[in-house]
Amino acid sequence: MSEARAPTERGDGEALRRFLVRPEAPALAFLAVLLVAFTLANDRFLTASNLESIVDSVAVLGVVALAVNQVILCGEIDISTGSMLGLCAIAAGAVSLSTGGILLPLLTGVAVGILAGALNGALVTLGRIPAIIVTLGMLYALRGVILLVTGGTWITGVPAATRVMGTGKVLGISIPVIILFGLFLVMELVNRHSTWGRNVFAVGGNRVAARLAGLPVNRVRFMAFTLVGAFVGIASLIYVGRAGSVQTNTGVGLELQAVAAVVIGGTSISGGRGSALAALTGAVLIGVILNGLILLGVPGIWQDAVLGGLILLAVATDVLRRRLVGDKA
Amino acid sequence: MSAIATTVRRLRISREIVLLGVLIALVIVMTLLDPLFLSLTTLLNTSRFFVEVGLMALGMTLIIITGGIDLSVGSNLALVSVAIGLSFAAGLPLPLAIVFGLVMGVAAGLFNGLFITLLDLHPLVVTLGTLALFQGLAYGVSGARAVSDFPGWFAYFGQAYLGPIPGQLFIFVVAVAVVWLILSRTTFGRYVYAIGNNEEAARFSGVPIRKVKLALYSGIGLLVGMAAVIYTSRVYTARGDSGVGLELDVISAVVLGGASIYGGSGTIGGTVLGVLIIATLRNGLILAGVPSTWQLFVLGVLLLAAVFINEFFRRGEE
Amino acid sequence: MLRNTRASGAVWAALLIALAMVVAACGVGQQGPSQGGGGGGGPNKICMMPKLVGIPYFNASEQGANEAAKELDVDLVYDGPTEAKAALQSQMIEQFIQQQCDAITVAANDPNALAPAMKKAGNAGIATGAWDADVASDARDVFVNQATFQAIGYELVDVMAKQTGGKGEFLVVTGSLTAPNQVAWLKEMRERMKDKYPEMSIASVEPGEEDLQLGIDITKNYLRANPDTAGVFGITSVALPGAAEAVQQIGRAGEVPVTGLSTPNEMKPYVESGTVKEFVLWNPVDLGYLAVHVANAQVDGNLPTSGTFKAGRLGEVKMLAEDEVLLGPPIVFSKENIDQYDF
Repeated sequence: MSEARAPTERGDGEALRRFLVRPEAPALAFLAVLLVAFTLANDRFLTASNLESIVDSVAVLGVVALAVNQVILCGEIDISTGSMLGLCAIAAGAVSLSTGGILLPLLTGVAVGILAGALNGALVTLGRIPAIIVTLGMLYALRGVILLVTGGTWITGVPAATRVMGTGKVLGISIPVIILFGLFLVMELVNRHSTWGRNVFAVGGNRVAARLAGLPVNRVRFMAFTLVGAFVGIASLIYVGRAGSVQTNTGVGLELQAVAAVVIGGTSISGGRGSALAALTGAVLIGVILNGLILLGVPGIWQDAVLGGLILLAVATDVLRRRLVGDKA
Repeated sequence: MSAIATTVRRLRISREIVLLGVLIALVIVMTLLDPLFLSLTTLLNTSRFFVEVGLMALGMTLIIITGGIDLSVGSNLALVSVAIGLSFAAGLPLPLAIVFGLVMGVAAGLFNGLFITLLDLHPLVVTLGTLALFQGLAYGVSGARAVSDFPGWFAYFGQAYLGPIPGQLFIFVVAVAVVWLILSRTTFGRYVYAIGNNEEAARFSGVPIRKVKLALYSGIGLLVGMAAVIYTSRVYTARGDSGVGLELDVISAVVLGGASIYGGSGTIGGTVLGVLIIATLRNGLILAGVPSTWQLFVLGVLLLAAVFINEFFRRGEE
Repeated sequence: MLRNTRASGAVWAALLIALAMVVAACGVGQQGPSQGGGGGGGPNKICMMPKLVGIPYFNASEQGANEAAKELDVDLVYDGPTEAKAALQSQMIEQFIQQQCDAITVAANDPNALAPAMKKAGNAGIATGAWDADVASDARDVFVNQATFQAIGYELVDVMAKQTGGKGEFLVVTGSLTAPNQVAWLKEMRERMKDKYPEMSIASVEPGEEDLQLGIDITKNYLRANPDTAGVFGITSVALPGAAEAVQQIGRAGEVPVTGLSTPNEMKPYVESGTVKEFVLWNPVDLGYLAVHVANAQVDGNLPTSGTFKAGRLGEVKMLAEDEVLLGPPIVFSKENIDQYDF
């Protein structure tokens, strides 16, 4: 969160302008305001342990959002992640119960995720079906698969060795936090320095131009959907670790939160503009708000309203900001 | 593959005829699975459950033809239901409470429309936001409590029968006729197709795009409001979780009915057939004793298959 | 545009044909279905609906229901929606009516929302009942109650009092603040504390929304903010494991007692690790078993209105009122007996 506030401290005009042009600027500013507001409202808010527990609690959401971010950058969308997380967690949990350890469950979770993600990608690119329909269909179909394969039983008593990705600590920092920031760094590097990362922006910015320029448009999009599967697989192990059991409704609603995190963070829903930092900021912002609501005693039933209001606020700010700085993209 | 498409085209088999065939085949299969399925009472009873989805699907057809989408219909239904229940519980006479609910539905739709047109935003992200917002408001304002002490006559909207025919079927038939007339016989209807075919071109030829879109999103709000009145009356309870997830059925029905999610094509007749197919499946699966755990899977796969077949046909036509 | 108009003309023609065919088919169909369904002769057809399918609790009820169905030679249909939604249930009740069930018994997600459909079933001559969670009492003939609110509330407080010496301030994690049974349990818990343990009190009630992760986070946050909390109640099958997990994660297992309502399979790890010493529940297998026995007795017309009712292996169960059957006292699960149960 240190990088969250650093830019706002610069005061002079040019720096401010350059900051305003960055897609994640409104979210970062908003995050800073919220941190101050919650700290003033409740003195238990700004403690190291509370901040760590916030980031810890958004680790699953954040990891998924980092990958969904790539799909949205391509100009596509993925709203199947909730059911996908449930399926990966069930698969990983089941393997863990029979083998224990961390490696096999992790590989299983990631493999199941990649399969589901690749299916999404294939239907969108080869089947030429719009992503919103593909992933909406998959959201329901995969939840159906969960109910069918489990027969409604829950997975309980996951062995401690498997749970290390959710509950372990390294050098006093919790492992979910390390995974989240690690994957964030990876995605930043991928977007800046890899061919695929740059192609994602090109495809999302202008698909026709990208195709005319000879970019492998379908492969780029297919990879993005598959990446979502892989990241959801990793996130599922964090989930299994933190919860210690898997229920048939695991992950319900995550699909909406992940898209919300990406869009709130500042990545444009129409593709081509955004960053991994936007997805991370959005996820942390959601965590801060949900945590703050609990501390302020706001009943949980208002969460959806707050989340929906935030999405609208975020997209509206994005449009107004772009008009303000004269960026027509 | 394309050879089949060419043959199909040569035979002049329209998508609607294919859908009709699918519907008849489904009815036959369901009847084989359970002889009870093909009785007048069963079929008419089935119709009680598709009217709400059907009303919303009519509005959704027009929106999808313009290349838009409205994911918030299920949440809006909850909002209207709660608005009717709470205003009635607060002492408003029920007829006024119903009007208030309808106004709320239109207002919610207009809210979507204003956001989309004034800020030039994609309907997907706006209605994704309002999907959560309306749902949350419905939950929060009602405090997750249910209102159900309505007077007896409220039951007419969702539980009345005229002879063996459920009352709401008449509302649906009238709504189908009106929306069909609007889409196929008016300038407004031509504007809807024009926007979907090419929004830029439509703008240059003087189509009032913003006004059309505002009318469409408010219009679906009104249809959602009507659906909410019927729904609330049918279950006789106003709750914040009414209608959650209905958007899947609505969008599936429209897409199954042949409307292209990319805009520009779609018909009311196709949508009606789509609604009938989904209702037959849902009702038939339960009657046939297929556990409901299978339904999510079947509906998800059906949606994917429908769009796939649609795109296949479209490519054949091109 | 012209093409579209012409196409919709074709559709209308097609629709008319379809309508004609359906009507014609109905003519045939109406003579047909005499062979299906119950009515005269054959085994009783009992249609039973849980709040939702796909969770262990209602799987356990199904197991008991099947056992009773086999015993009584009953044709059992056990199905419910995949989400705990009243509207979906009311739709399924209508379909049960069409399937010509002899008895319909439901675990209601909302007492009033299911009333119209259940009344319709009653009017169609079907025996109606509720189990686990009641329907409005004028819309059903009988309710199979798993345990009284008082028995549950009192038992929960007694179990906790044993571990804290009858004093302290407590956190309660519920499902939602408005669920009628949870509200009623809380009321009984408060009463028991006031009457028998004046030094015990409920400091806060937090809704976990039946979301395991949320329940864990809420409990952790609360215990960090209020380290003097004497113990935690989790009064739904999701809230209790969440609370236990949270206490374990912040390293205060054994020090902050946890109890509540949940299923043995879900709680086994926490009972074995000692985080949870005892917790409370009725037996959902027996509940499903009893519900089928009661429904069958309704159809056969031999359900008593007072005294006791003989329900197979359960023996004599008590009629709590003329339209209410009581399963029995709740079970307290601990390390000693938890292995006897599998649900």
